Amino acid sequence: MTALGAPAPAAQAGASSAGHLVVTGTSKRFGAAVVLEDLSLSVAKGEFVSLLGPSGCGKTTLLRCIAGLLRPDAGRITVAGQDITALPAHRRNVGVVFQNYALFPHLTVAENIGFGLRAQGVSRAEAAPRVAEALALVRMGEHADKPVTSLSGGQQQRVAVARALVVRPSLLLLDEPFSALDRKLRETMQVELKHLLREVGITAIFVTHDQEEALVVSDRIAVMNSGRIEQLADPATLYGRPVSLYVLDFVGQSTRLAGRIVAVEDGVVTVETSLGPVRAPGRFAPGSRVAVAVRPEAVTLGEGVAGANRVSARVSEISFLGSRTQLHLDLPAEGEDRGVVELPRLPEGVQPGSRVTLAFREADTMVFPA
Amino acid sequence: MSATLAAPAAALPPLRRRLDPMALLALPGVAFLSVVFLLPLLLLLWSSIRGEGGFTVNGYVRVLGDAYYIGVIGNSLQLGLITTAGAFILGYPAAFALARARGYAQVVLFALVFLPLTVSIIVKSFGWGIVLRRDGILNWLMLNVGLIERPVRMIFTEGALYAGMINVFLPFMVLPIYSVVRMIDPRYGDAAATLGASPWYRFTRVTLPLTLPGVVAGASLVFSLAVAAYVTPSLLMGDRYMTMSMVMAKAFLNLRDWQLGGAMAAVLLAVAAMVVVGASLMQRRLARHGGAA
Repeated sequence: MTALGAPAPAAQAGASSAGHLVVTGTSKRFGAAVVLEDLSLSVAKGEFVSLLGPSGCGKTTLLRCIAGLLRPDAGRITVAGQDITALPAHRRNVGVVFQNYALFPHLTVAENIGFGLRAQGVSRAEAAPRVAEALALVRMGEHADKPVTSLSGGQQQRVAVARALVVRPSLLLLDEPFSALDRKLRETMQVELKHLLREVGITAIFVTHDQEEALVVSDRIAVMNSGRIEQLADPATLYGRPVSLYVLDFVGQSTRLAGRIVAVEDGVVTVETSLGPVRAPGRFAPGSRVAVAVRPEAVTLGEGVAGANRVSARVSEISFLGSRTQLHLDLPAEGEDRGVVELPRLPEGVQPGSRVTLAFREADTMVFPA
Repeated sequence: MSATLAAPAAALPPLRRRLDPMALLALPGVAFLSVVFLLPLLLLLWSSIRGEGGFTVNGYVRVLGDAYYIGVIGNSLQLGLITTAGAFILGYPAAFALARARGYAQVVLFALVFLPLTVSIIVKSFGWGIVLRRDGILNWLMLNVGLIERPVRMIFTEGALYAGMINVFLPFMVLPIYSVVRMIDPRYGDAAATLGASPWYRFTRVTLPLTLPGVVAGASLVFSLAVAAYVTPSLLMGDRYMTMSMVMAKAFLNLRDWQLGGAMAAVLLAVAAMVVVGASLMQRRLARHGGAA
């Protein structure tokens, strides 16, 4: 285990001053389409960062630029202080776990894992114990001589991770590593992989479009939008204090109401919405068009605490999710208003069509320019 | 009918194995080939072992015991090997270009591969004659550029024959390799690169092994076609370079020597069969090693 890397230094969220991976002013365009736009990112040694965004946001392009599979049009990429921008992929020592794993179908499990060592000129005799060690690390020892085509999805992922780690890369990139797995296995593998990578002490970048996955595996998440990083923060900040409606919508659910600022005092604004006035901390000029939002679990039914925002709405649908119950609110169809409330348990008598009073604290209410 | 339907379920598997409905799909093809191919072939082989007084191996003794005919068989094998090697050297990179090309470029490249197939082999071979003649285009060009001082004899040389043969059979090498290359996930190369493999290592350890099934298919196709070639060698070389097919034609058409022609046909068939069987054994070995997912 120790041979695969130094023990993990405690990863510190936001410790970007001494960046292990530093991407500076990187741009990439394909024809007229700008895929990365003057993007900068710094990742600390041992840190796990997710690049999160919808397809086409540039996250995979950024990953390929870091791996050396694409050459950015502008910008600089350094790993451990060394400028790798001009190096081809095979000279970078940046490991990649590909979507669907890209295991070599003509080689066995052990041959796949040994491929990188052999390619780098390690003798067969020297490679063997390192391959065995990597196999043991991902608990695939008894499958060493099987063709990779006979493995299950979870096993293939383990082989792909072992294959990338055995050459001791300075950085590991993972492109949608869980998308080929079914939901139950995905949740297990997310925790297992995070634990494994932490043990090896490697710096890892995950590319994903799945916000839940990003929240599970990352120390920090970079939410990407059309070639730029919209917000880079730890999961709690990202969820609790999104900087824009885009981040708000991409990470988690929320009740969101469009409105207009009607009053401003002491850093608290009052917004007139379709459900009535709502107060929130913020600084906007009176008359501005804004959207207020509140996370589903920040809302309670009934009067709530003193001074809380209170609005009245009709329940349109109720979804039982096991550990909690979700209420969807009946809101005017036009515009982007929507209402989602999550409760630990459903109060007696609430059913679709019921009119309920929703209470949420002023401090939990967010305002965004619309 | 109702009795069949009411048959106990346990009796079904052996019944199914005996009468796989899918096997019926081969029936029209098998019937057609039996009449137009298998029957004449058997008659041909029969004629090779029929002599004055009944059964004889005289035809085979004449073919395999005569230095001239051994030379002819050698010529055919050599022609087959050189054509296959040449088609591979030109066709392998071409198949990659075809598979990786997009849009307009791919259409043009496809046309370049397919158009020669639509031109009759006779037209093509005459075309070569025009290019390679003493007063042909190639000599004229080289004279004017100053590469040569007097016309070079090219037609009726072995070099011209190989060039013509490769031209005729190249598509049969390109297409099987192309179909395999097209199926290879480009991420295999990416994965190998990120593991530190140089471009050469990636080619020899990933790309080449994965394309080998296509190479085997293309090579066996080109070899069996080239070893049996008749028109191109006849037109480009004539009697100076006798191949097995040319001897057969002469035996049947000029000499009316069915024994000789039949025996030569049997030898050619044996060579082709060895290539086809060898290739499919190789394909199965490649597949067993995990080549096919």
